Amino acid sequence: MSLVLPKPVEASSPPPADNSASALRRLRWLKARNAVATLAAESRLRVAMILFCSAVFWFGLFFFFLGSFQFIAFYVDLANTIIEYLFSLFFLSLLAMLLFSTGIIVYSSLFHSREAAYLLTTPASADRIFAHKFFEAMVFSSWGFFLLGSPLMVAYGLTVQAPAGYYALFLVFLLSFVIIPGGLGAIAAVVVANVFPRRRKTVLALSLLAALAVIGYFVVRVWRTPGEALSGDWLGGILNRLAFCQHPLWPSKWMSAGLLAAARGDWPNAGYYLMILSSHAGLAYLAAAVVARDLYRRGYSRTQGGRSSRKRAGLAFFDATFHRLFFFLSRPIRLLILKDLRIFLRDPAQWSQFLIFFGLLGFYFLNIPRLGYGAQSPYWRNLVSFLNLSVTALILSTFTSRFIFPLLSLEGRNFWVLGLLPLKREQILWGKFAFSAGISLISTEFLVVLSDLMLKMSPWMILLHVGMIAVLCLGLSGISVGLGARLPNLRESDPSKIAAGFGGTFNLLVSLVFIFTIVTALAVPCHLYFAGQDYPESSRYFLSREGLRFWLSAAVVVSLIIGAAATIIPLRVGIKAFQRMEF
Amino acid sequence: MIELRGVSKSFGPKRAVDHLDLTVRPGELYAFLGPNGAGKTTTIKMICGLLRPTEGAVLVGGRPAESREARRLLGYIPDQPFLYDKLTGREFLKFVIEMYGVPRSAGLSRIEELVDTFEMADFIDELCENYSQGMKQRVVFASALVHEPRVLVVDEPLVGLDPRSARIVKNMFVSMAREGAAVLMSIHLLAIAEELADTIGIIDHGRMLAVGSMADLRKQAQADGSLEELFLKLTGGDGRRVVSPVARARLESPS
Repeated sequence: MSLVLPKPVEASSPPPADNSASALRRLRWLKARNAVATLAAESRLRVAMILFCSAVFWFGLFFFFLGSFQFIAFYVDLANTIIEYLFSLFFLSLLAMLLFSTGIIVYSSLFHSREAAYLLTTPASADRIFAHKFFEAMVFSSWGFFLLGSPLMVAYGLTVQAPAGYYALFLVFLLSFVIIPGGLGAIAAVVVANVFPRRRKTVLALSLLAALAVIGYFVVRVWRTPGEALSGDWLGGILNRLAFCQHPLWPSKWMSAGLLAAARGDWPNAGYYLMILSSHAGLAYLAAAVVARDLYRRGYSRTQGGRSSRKRAGLAFFDATFHRLFFFLSRPIRLLILKDLRIFLRDPAQWSQFLIFFGLLGFYFLNIPRLGYGAQSPYWRNLVSFLNLSVTALILSTFTSRFIFPLLSLEGRNFWVLGLLPLKREQILWGKFAFSAGISLISTEFLVVLSDLMLKMSPWMILLHVGMIAVLCLGLSGISVGLGARLPNLRESDPSKIAAGFGGTFNLLVSLVFIFTIVTALAVPCHLYFAGQDYPESSRYFLSREGLRFWLSAAVVVSLIIGAAATIIPLRVGIKAFQRMEF
Repeated sequence: MIELRGVSKSFGPKRAVDHLDLTVRPGELYAFLGPNGAGKTTTIKMICGLLRPTEGAVLVGGRPAESREARRLLGYIPDQPFLYDKLTGREFLKFVIEMYGVPRSAGLSRIEELVDTFEMADFIDELCENYSQGMKQRVVFASALVHEPRVLVVDEPLVGLDPRSARIVKNMFVSMAREGAAVLMSIHLLAIAEELADTIGIIDHGRMLAVGSMADLRKQAQADGSLEELFLKLTGGDGRRVVSPVARARLESPS
């Protein structure tokens, strides 16, 4: 190296060619290639785990769909309208979900990513940058769709013995389909940035509420279908009420009609619907690119800057109450919990999702008397109570995976602050655990008791469920905090990406296995006992009261042991990893 | 080369830049100074086309800052530079020359020249995610210079650089300016500004308080002394105000 002045800058030449499209293409290829090479060189176990989990998930879904189709085929001809209704409904739901997820991802990658800020200073045109970010957003938002859609399509194809061409064609259908909500979501994202640059969260919350209201309306309509369940009239009524998903202007209708035609080997019709679908996909992308070309830079400018000058109240009363209520915890742990609680309450993405999911569950539980479950037999009420408990636990596991698991990773560059705090490092993890377990216990215990009261369950069963959900809360919190410390992603600042990464996915899988184990252990003896009450003629196959007592006691002991293991082992693993961590 | 005429930028009710006039001519090294929150980064982002002015015009090379032609002339080093973690430094520099349409052979030889200048040969073929802060900073400088910009805009250029790299960067700025480029540098290190700049502009609350050479600034501030003293006087923070009352009491108490 020399400290002398470098060569002079030569005079500018005529405008060079626009190579930005090929440069961005090469950039994506290099990023993908280097990422795969790094994974293959440094994280073979991780890659193997990802492939294994994906395969398990795919085949699990495949066999589930295959079984379902074979069950339906036992009663009706699969080529008839019921399947078209089911497919239309399935794809319409995915259309709505993809619209939201792609819109949100496109918004954050166009307006809040450092890469976008960098690219906007280069000579690349706005629509080229948009195309680059749109491609990434589509991959990120729709991989799950392919993972969910492909086993469904293959299972259907095998059930109806579809020709070979169907299997190649359904991938083209899926690809065309995802671009339509992707393009519309992108248009919405650019428009929101231009029209409501400071109100994006309000717009999102209102849109979600509107979507929930529409879903709720149709769910209630279907629920109130007259006639005896599973009778011909009832089924006709259901199909009549689902007729909206068969509207010829829905892309989901083109998708289902085209796929069914391809499965029958009706190539002219399949090609016709594929052309409709792909031409609309092209139109959606083109419209999004034009909107981005004209409005992206303007929107970017509008969404930047302008620090919030809103003063936050000190919440001294809240803090003092909290300290008094949890006097038995050490003060540093209380302070850490308060910090996490404050961040949780100030992030609408966290509390709103929490509130929506648990609010919907609460709404459903309150409506149990209206649904008539409370007047059903003990067998039926027991079944519903365990199902309610399982749903509550499953939603809790998505909460712990989405919000608790990334907590330590999100400390990211501020990790040294935690590392230098004058307290034992394990106390930091215990603080996070107490925070997670506290929120989980308060919300789920309330819901489970509400569900059991509405179902008129006996006090013993309520006690059993209360204990069971407590074990689940503690276990899920231990798993998420422990694995969050063991598998942190300190480079990522987006919690959804941390949750969607390897560590988050692994955490979710472990959580699901844990829930399944606990629920099965306790539900099976109860199920066998109550089933015997309803069918006394075959009671020898079921559990007597004494049998229930014995097996339930054994199941409670096993659940407590598994719950303790699920709480303590991940936390110990996490604490060890956290203590070894260098700052 | 850079021209701001009556530029204002508001974020809601808050006016970050207020009727600002600023000119950086070809061959001029302009130090842009101001306290935190004065509007420097907002101004720089408008010059780079990232923000649109609420009022006024921002021109780069005589063209609107948002235009493609203006961006082609520009090299920008932000206060928080961006690199792709999963690219090597060399791959990133090749990406930049392709984005700017620099002919391949000329671009590659320019990359080699900058690798040598910034002493990057040891790490340039490693992934950026493994770089230290200083390494990242050197790659970012190279990326801003690899297409030979006629206008260079730099926000806090010396953060994270060791003294040797800082010297190279300073030489680079002077060299570029002497060869006809317009260099705008936002910086808090007043001694560096005093050492390098042809023109110094001091901004506060979005308004230009004073602009010119050191001699011009002394006249405008009606004071002699170093740039630091002039800066504190112009921005309303004299020696007494920048010491907190508690610290002053400690200093003044006989112990």
